[in-house]
Amino acid sequence: MKEFPTLKFLNRFKWVFEKMGVQYPLLRSILQVKLTMDQRRVPTIFDQSNAKKKDQNHFLKSLGLYAFYGLFLIPFIVMGNQYLFQMSMLFGLMMFIVMTSMISDFSTVLLDVRDRTILSTRPVNRKTISTAKALHIIIYLFFITFAMVGIPLIVSLFTKGILFAFLLLLAVVLVDIFVVVMTSFLYFFVLRFFDGEKLKDIINYVQIGLSISLIVGYQILIRAFEFVDLEVSFSPDWWHIFFPPIWFAAPFEVWLGSAGGPLLFFYSALAFVVPVIALIIYVKLMPVFENHLQKLSDHGGQKQRKRKWSYSTLLKLICYTKQERAFFRFASLMLSKEREFRLKVYPSLGLSLVFPFIFLFNEFQNKSLEEVASGNFYLSLYFGSIMIPTAVIMLKYSGTYKGAWIYRTMPVEDYKYLYKGMLKAFIVKLYVPIFLFVGAVFLWIYGGSILEDLLAIFLSTCLYVALCFTMIRGTLPFSESFEVAQQSEGWTTLPFIILLGGFWVIHLFVLNLAYGVLGYIVILMLGNLVAWRKIVR
Amino acid sequence: MAIILSTNQPILSIKNLEKSYGVNQVLNGIDLSVYKGQIIGYIGPNGAGKSTTVKIMLGLEQNYSGQVEIFGSDIANEPVEYKRRVGYVPEVADLYDNLTAHEYLTFIGELYGVDSDSVDQKAQKLMSLFGLEDVYHSRISSFSKGMKQKTLIISSLLHNPDLLFLDEPIGGLDANSVMVFKEVLAQLAAQGKTIFYSSHIMDVVEKISNRIILLNEGRIVADGSFEELKQKNQEGTLEEIFNQLTGFDEHKDMAEQFVSIVQEM
Repeated sequence: MKEFPTLKFLNRFKWVFEKMGVQYPLLRSILQVKLTMDQRRVPTIFDQSNAKKKDQNHFLKSLGLYAFYGLFLIPFIVMGNQYLFQMSMLFGLMMFIVMTSMISDFSTVLLDVRDRTILSTRPVNRKTISTAKALHIIIYLFFITFAMVGIPLIVSLFTKGILFAFLLLLAVVLVDIFVVVMTSFLYFFVLRFFDGEKLKDIINYVQIGLSISLIVGYQILIRAFEFVDLEVSFSPDWWHIFFPPIWFAAPFEVWLGSAGGPLLFFYSALAFVVPVIALIIYVKLMPVFENHLQKLSDHGGQKQRKRKWSYSTLLKLICYTKQERAFFRFASLMLSKEREFRLKVYPSLGLSLVFPFIFLFNEFQNKSLEEVASGNFYLSLYFGSIMIPTAVIMLKYSGTYKGAWIYRTMPVEDYKYLYKGMLKAFIVKLYVPIFLFVGAVFLWIYGGSILEDLLAIFLSTCLYVALCFTMIRGTLPFSESFEVAQQSEGWTTLPFIILLGGFWVIHLFVLNLAYGVLGYIVILMLGNLVAWRKIVR
Repeated sequence: MAIILSTNQPILSIKNLEKSYGVNQVLNGIDLSVYKGQIIGYIGPNGAGKSTTVKIMLGLEQNYSGQVEIFGSDIANEPVEYKRRVGYVPEVADLYDNLTAHEYLTFIGELYGVDSDSVDQKAQKLMSLFGLEDVYHSRISSFSKGMKQKTLIISSLLHNPDLLFLDEPIGGLDANSVMVFKEVLAQLAAQGKTIFYSSHIMDVVEKISNRIILLNEGRIVADGSFEELKQKNQEGTLEEIFNQLTGFDEHKDMAEQFVSIVQEM
């Protein structure tokens, strides 16, 4: 294991830790191990062949990305003197990014149950273990935060002066404390009332939610810049108390800006007091938290199996052999239950849901409802299919890919049933809900006349799925680790996205023909018939 | 070791140990004294409270009532020091498997306060005795089940402990390694180490332990050498004694039902 500069730095504070009652050499060993593992937190399974390869520091690489995010903070610093507004935006963004990374990357560290069996059974005192954990988080946050805020901090030093930069630095530290403690409290409360499985699910949904909002937020942010030229009249209000970024922005307004008043002083005070109090509570609650952590390894008690609406009739309509039905059920469970798969695919599903509306809102900005309703913008429903190529590629990966031996040991006559069942499950489970929702909204706006268009869109999506299948043909579903997913696969989807545009164009074209859409539907039906027979094997 | 123990002073003594999770009472008053050189076969059906007892003794579970003394001091008062002389092989192979065996084992050695060079040498020798010298610098995540188990066993012995807690330690080990391991246990016990061996494999427990403790529903229902248990219960094997004492006699019935369900088509 290599020597980490961070740990060398820590050596200077040895006496502090020893005074606290921490076993410093052990603390150091634990941290060294933890940091080493952080660096390796990417492939573990396929590295038997190249185990001697030099460690790549994946963590350091990710810091580059944070530095890039940080660049987006600069405009908020330099753009004007509306400190309350600007800094609220800045802290909002920063909190969001730090919280995302805490939850998505660091939950595994915070919630590592192996620590109990490995560390607690050894002659290490409790204080050392909890200090090691806290330091680990601090080191991690330090790097992420300063990768992100470093450049903006320097910029602020030159444009706004030393007081501003100092205040920013202080606020950033407080924000970090606030975020860590809040994340831990979130976990704590979930663990208090639910079991570990539920917590993992909740973390999963938070991750999905955050990745969706990251992209949607980006859209909104771009739009927000349009308002920047306008005079922002942003004055403090009592309900701002619910927006922590505003607390942290308040001191800037008080000391450097023009506004004042008791409310702002109060918020400034909150910015200092709340993180400190939260930290104290956190330290006090730490042992209780550790005890709850045990629940993570408990598997939920017996659950009553809910009798769900049974598919069986519907299933017979769409899957024609027993094996295909079996694979359909299996795949739909995998699609909805497997956390890693959800994490990789559901965010893009969310986008599929949102994209048509984003385009629609653009449309509404310039036109009245009547004008919109007479147009053919409902075709933006095709945007709902834009996630299909990526999602189809993901079908071959799984977090539990090792289970794929079942395909080989089972007497499967023909893998085509497997593929068909899987793709149909994909359409029914993941695409249809989006289609129905967006379709319903469009139906409400455009009226019943677009029913045949919706049918055509649905049919062309089915055809599209079959075409996209060519990308993963020959691989078994859910049989590879996500960690081998190649970045380059982003490019293989490109032709398919263009193809989607093709479908749109054809649809636009047939709209101009008499009975064009009906004819198109017939053609699509035939096309589906052929494609699902010929391609999906 | 500096501490001198008279032969009749127990290494481990448990008095009226009770533990419950919510309304669920797991341990209903356990009394137990274990002496130097004993190999305790700690057995019982699933949910009898075996793991809970072991976890309490290792300080993984608090909030119990009763008293647990190890090496003569109450572990509730001195939760750290006794662990220097305790080794543990957990049932689940919890390892930091992103590390190499070398890194992991030296780390564990350091936690026991052994300096890293001497642990390294020791670990390397032990690994090669188990036939793992080639993978000493490979990541544990690439190990097979048996290799992980061997690593765990080694990690529990690096600091030459006086008391060993083994929870299903031989899962995944091949027959030859099992033989080596059993012999190691016998020799360790002969040198005065105490071993707490908990397992569901009755044949092994029968062979290696010189004292068997059977737990059922949070109580000790049998305690003695295999011979003693045999005389008391008039059964031939530990498995049969186990069945008898846990009140289980319908295995034939259940097997018949099972097979008939298997044959339904």
